Amino acid sequence: MAVLSKEQKERYRRQIAIVGEDGQERIGRTRLLIDGAGGLGSMAALFAAMAGFGTIRIIDPDCIEETNLNRQWLFREADIGRPKANTTAKVLHSMNSSIDVEPVTAAIGTTPARDLIRGIDLVIDGLDNYPARFLLDDAMWKCGVPFIHGAVGGFYGQVCTILPKTSPCLRCIIPNPPPFREIPLIGVTTGLIGCVQVTEAIKLATGTGLPIIDHLWLWDGIRQKSDQLKIERIPTCPVCGKDEYQIPTGVRVR
Amino acid sequence: MKVHVKAFATFREVMDSQFDMEFPEGASIYTLLAELTGRYTGLGDLMFAAPGTPRDFVNILKNGRNVHFLAGLDTPLDDGDVIALFPPVAGG
Repeated sequence: MAVLSKEQKERYRRQIAIVGEDGQERIGRTRLLIDGAGGLGSMAALFAAMAGFGTIRIIDPDCIEETNLNRQWLFREADIGRPKANTTAKVLHSMNSSIDVEPVTAAIGTTPARDLIRGIDLVIDGLDNYPARFLLDDAMWKCGVPFIHGAVGGFYGQVCTILPKTSPCLRCIIPNPPPFREIPLIGVTTGLIGCVQVTEAIKLATGTGLPIIDHLWLWDGIRQKSDQLKIERIPTCPVCGKDEYQIPTGVRVR
Repeated sequence: MKVHVKAFATFREVMDSQFDMEFPEGASIYTLLAELTGRYTGLGDLMFAAPGTPRDFVNILKNGRNVHFLAGLDTPLDDGDVIALFPPVAGG
């Protein structure tokens, strides 16, 4: 078991007061995947790096565009045209040089999910469409890896944590994807939802508190109000209703 | 019988966030949607692709279970049900 160095104890002193040295060591041992370096992913990556997650794999197939700059805080005007994953990795390294950051310029769907999640303990959803989320939801369930779903639209957002074999999966809640369209987005909402997702990651890594597993947490920025919507696992769900999955070769199961 | 209705996200721009409704025995999700679209102008376009055909991405949960996996619009209402309506937000 890794032991915190003197420097780590000082760096994380204020959060060790919350999660303890054991909790901080657990964060340091956790290999986190953030799928998408957009509005959710960039905020999640920021706080995950600051919290000291030992490995952060950041996946995104795209290059930075001007229209990203209202919400994807990691990027600057000079970064336009550069790959999002590599640019994110450079920023995270500059913030916390003691963690490993693995940029992957790829997309779930064109690259098998089981390859992208190999060796990963925990996944944060930074995707921008449901077909890709469903692929990830299915892979996470089959591999037994927790998946922290988040999504945003305008001033609205939602989060839930999917614990395979325990909670409802994403398809139980949302069986059909909405049609693809350019979604109105504002940085304050993506930032807030990304923060809630990392809160879930810290809780899961350290065993602190209760994850959002039996309800969908919904944020309404227009009314500055949050709600908890009860959700239940569906026995006939095409993803989690079947109890016949096989562990893919080479995928670590926890 | 009485059911409690909750609306989320952009549905709140055309209808109230939550309220109770009374229905006779035998009412279904379809009965509820017909009542709501009559009550709230604008909800019909958000909810239905064509008369009687709801948009498949609109989520209707009865006590935490999506009616897609139950009997769809024919899912019966029961006294004390909590019915949640929300379009999924999709961005990231």
